[in-house]
Amino acid sequence: MKIIVLNGNPDNKNIKFDNYLTELANDLQKKNHGTKIFTLRDMNINHCVGCFGCWVKTPGECVFKDDSAEICRSVVNADFVFFSSPIMMGFTSALLKKANEKLLPIFHPYFEFINAETRHIKRYKKYPPIGLLLENNERTDKEDIFIISEIYRREAMNFKSSFSFTRFTSDPITELAHEISRI
Amino acid sequence: MKLAVFNGSPREKTSNTTVLLDNFLNGYMTNDGNSYELGYLANEKEADKNIELFKEADRVLIAFPLYFDSMPANVKTFIESLEPLCLRSGNPGIGFIIQSGFPESDHSMYVESYLEKLAKRLGCKYSGTVIRGAFETIRVPFMIDNIFHKIFIAGGKITNMGRVGHFFNTEKLYKKIYRLGMTFGKTGEFDKKIVQQLAKPEKLSRFGSCLFRFVGKHLYWNILLKRNNAYDKRFDTPYADQ
Repeated sequence: MKIIVLNGNPDNKNIKFDNYLTELANDLQKKNHGTKIFTLRDMNINHCVGCFGCWVKTPGECVFKDDSAEICRSVVNADFVFFSSPIMMGFTSALLKKANEKLLPIFHPYFEFINAETRHIKRYKKYPPIGLLLENNERTDKEDIFIISEIYRREAMNFKSSFSFTRFTSDPITELAHEISRI
Repeated sequence: MKLAVFNGSPREKTSNTTVLLDNFLNGYMTNDGNSYELGYLANEKEADKNIELFKEADRVLIAFPLYFDSMPANVKTFIESLEPLCLRSGNPGIGFIIQSGFPESDHSMYVESYLEKLAKRLGCKYSGTVIRGAFETIRVPFMIDNIFHKIFIAGGKITNMGRVGHFFNTEKLYKKIYRLGMTFGKTGEFDKKIVQQLAKPEKLSRFGSCLFRFVGKHLYWNILLKRNNAYDKRFDTPYADQ
């Protein structure tokens, strides 16, 4: 299994979060799952400017060259993508959202109507299931978790795959690694 | 009323959000004594100025396009920068406008829940969220006009069909947004009836979907693809390993 982790922790002083991901990746490697962590804050990723160039000028590729191309390539060829972020003001980080928006090239502009909703059609045959890893804080409640999870459930609908779960950095690493390997 | 308006579109001044806000603010300004200041959230150089605008306003309005089922990253960056102001006494009332390309407003359902919770988190009185779908289609009339212009005018025949695209009645939509701004300027609240009208349809009918897909494909994407000589490459899969 090829696993991609998008590390949306914007704060290099939050070592605990990064360590959790590193240990999780080590555990997954031991189970023979190739795991790659993209530490987004260290990458050169521009904001999506909504130009639609990746749909109507250079279909499938962003017209602005940056490190997001590498993420796009990894995501379309992965078996599982783990979106991870500390919760900040009740949502995942702006950093994770920025990287998320730069996935636009892997989708197609044309529309389809599924589950009574307009959505964009696939560009690739298959997209991986996704999961969400959050770091809680004392200002977060159940309602916040529900809202974030529902929005990422919609992200899985963009992927036309499935939403596996929302997990927390307070969960035991071995259990989580086990869960991921069963996807 | 002193209003701080934040344009959250990554397209900044040339955005559909700008068109929407222009109409809203024209209505808002018909009330004597109203003023507003405008901040662009995609402009990182203005980050500090935007926090000051938030602090000094009686009311705040944040408008943005729906990007991947929520606010664009630059809007989230702004929200994160407001964290020190959570529950500060004297925080302004806050309202939101979301416009999306998808025709159904249901796409914005969960981000609306998020925004309502955000108002609570900041300790701001919540004025509500206006949601309008299919907003990218305001660009369609100009594209159709261009085609007709090419066929009838550039082809040597002088016709008055240059504005055929305006059969798409964007003016009616703009008037509604103007009236929304007008009542907001008077009461500081969104007119519930107009909000309901703008949010329609929450879900699309099968017929509506066929129409939207046709217009989207043939009168928008394909025109742009052909204009850029990219039509033949429209199904390219540059990142497929196999």
